[in-house]
Amino acid sequence: MPEKAKFKCLRCGYLYEDKYTPGVPQERACPKCGSNSVRRLEEKSTSPGNR
Amino acid sequence: MMDVGRHPRIKLFAYSEVEHISGFIGNFNVKIRKKARYVIEDECTACGDCTKDCPVVVPDEYQQGFSSRKAIYIPFPQAVPSAYILNMEECLGNNPIACGKCLEACEKKCIDYDMKDEIIEVEVGTIIVATGLDVYDPTELDEFGYRSYENVITSMEFERLICAGGPTAGHFVRPTDRKVPRTVAFIQCVGSRSGKRGNRYCSNICCMNTIKDTLLLYDHYPETKCKVFYIDIRAFGKGFEQMFMRSKEVGVEYIRGIPGEVVEDPVTRNLILTVENTTTGRVEQHEVEMVVLSVGMEQRSDFDRLQKMLTLSTTGDGFVLESHPKLKPVDSPTRGVFYAGCVESPKGITESVVQSSAAAARASIILNAGRVKIEALTARLDTSLCNYCGMCARVCPYHAITPPDRKLGIYPEIIEAACAGCGTCAAECPNDAITMRHFTDAQIMAQIDAILEEKPLEKIVAFACNWCSYAGGDNAGTSRLQYPPSIRLIRTMCSGRVDEKFVLYAFQKGAPLVLVSGCHFADCHYINAVTWTQRRVERLWNKLERLGIRPERLQLEWISAAEGQKFAKVMRELEELRKKVTPEEVQQTREILRREAEKERARKAKRVEALRSA
Ligand code: SF4
Ligand code: SF4
Ligand SMILES: [Zn+2]
Repeated sequence: MPEKAKFKCLRCGYLYEDKYTPGVPQERACPKCGSNSVRRLEEKSTSPGNR
Repeated sequence: MMDVGRHPRIKLFAYSEVEHISGFIGNFNVKIRKKARYVIEDECTACGDCTKDCPVVVPDEYQQGFSSRKAIYIPFPQAVPSAYILNMEECLGNNPIACGKCLEACEKKCIDYDMKDEIIEVEVGTIIVATGLDVYDPTELDEFGYRSYENVITSMEFERLICAGGPTAGHFVRPTDRKVPRTVAFIQCVGSRSGKRGNRYCSNICCMNTIKDTLLLYDHYPETKCKVFYIDIRAFGKGFEQMFMRSKEVGVEYIRGIPGEVVEDPVTRNLILTVENTTTGRVEQHEVEMVVLSVGMEQRSDFDRLQKMLTLSTTGDGFVLESHPKLKPVDSPTRGVFYAGCVESPKGITESVVQSSAAAARASIILNAGRVKIEALTARLDTSLCNYCGMCARVCPYHAITPPDRKLGIYPEIIEAACAGCGTCAAECPNDAITMRHFTDAQIMAQIDAILEEKPLEKIVAFACNWCSYAGGDNAGTSRLQYPPSIRLIRTMCSGRVDEKFVLYAFQKGAPLVLVSGCHFADCHYINAVTWTQRRVERLWNKLERLGIRPERLQLEWISAAEGQKFAKVMRELEELRKKVTPEEVQQTREILRREAEKERARKAKRVEALRSA
């Protein structure tokens, strides 16, 4: 099931939210600069299922 | 079809499905489910006595539902084998026998209600995938009234109505009054070339199919008038333009614009089309007696099963990806598997025949030779280092590695004939038990050493895959595009080969910036190896952050062979990033990684020790 996640472009620093399906790698491009160096920022969560 | 059925060296499995495929080029094992047809195929003479007495009447799918058939039937007159089938889901019941009329009627007693599906195993050397296509279902496009009005039909339904073997014996009549229509509108690109509904691609054959249909109509009914509503007519094959001209000469009217609405006159049951004629710029209304929707083609909805069995890749539109679009257009990335027909892309008969002949020739070359030559780029396993984790077998896009079994002491086995040499297994193996021929760890590390030997601060270490990003660099070069000289490329066959340790080693040796680059996901030359690259780089970003190294210093980019411009642009951007990395930062990184490497060495020594003593 796709969920929302935060992403950061490691080229231009742009932060944005996008759909994300856990375990399914997807080609991503920064909406601002077009770079593929897009990293999903892990939510710092305390819930046991999300360690 | 008849010839195929009779050919002494062709075994036809009709009414069958592929259940499972294993093995590799030259040694495929295919399990086929031969479905029970409840009629003994070799005994049935297709006399049709059974069907006359069957009380079940259902729509005939072959005639597009324009006529009916019985529960025991022959799918179409030319069907091979020429034998009846009993559809048990439609039959009144075989357990207990609820009707039994067909059994009574069949003099030869070829009906067997107890017949069961059979699983047949065959050993084959090569496989040709020719699974055909699905026709686009226009019910989602409300504006054309396909669901509401009987006199709106699809081009497939048109084929049945105009065919001598069709439900009306070739008399083209409109469904509501069984009269020959005096005006027929054809609407093009239904389900094709649309970003919103249907498919984005052009279905290739619909323009010519419509032109052919209009000529057929004029031939049969010279007084019938045809109007074609189109975006643009694509008549680029041999003799096609002449055919288009001929249809215009006989009086077919071509109107550039796709109707936005089709409504029915409830009295006459005629259809009124509202369209913006983009040639005149005016909104027009056209009244016709019948509408034919020229529907597009799609990949078969059940194709994903076969796709998984054969590890085939598809493009975004669902059609299969060739090994190389220009040089190996009928080869799949999996050796020994070839494509023919619409499984690869929408195409007409001529093109399908050409492609099938090519696929048959490609397959027979392998079968005749009895052996295959592969490039010496395959993976090799050192079992003394393997701890049976099974990672290699999991990541191999070609299923070229048999999974290990720790309990039985069975090591993974690399089937070299199936290995394409992507190097993903070598990069993922936690114990360095796999070596890639000609792309060994030592060779790649030596290149890193050489790049960073002098003035490392001024260099960017870039890993580029052979097929796309390295070729993108070539493209930039031959196009004389300028990019900074700080970029130093290390070529690997696939970005999947780029081991975590290469990246860390480059940083440890003083690289300010590292780039991992490969093919776009849809272009991956090793099925889906690129997805492992993505996973690994994501892992590395996390690791770098944990170690206190800025993840930004590891960059990722997908560059195709045609994207010379992108290659040059990315390299310029990287140069800007490189300038921001200070000598102090690099020094600190080296220190961190030196300590890490020491720890890792100790861990590894322990692991190897444990393995060796086991
Ligand atoms: S990944 Fe390496 S250690 Fe694991 S099973 Fe394969 S060869 Fe052995
Ligand atoms: S190199 Fe690639 S294709 Fe060959 S065995 Fe390893 S993962 Fe499979
Ligand atoms: Zn960006």
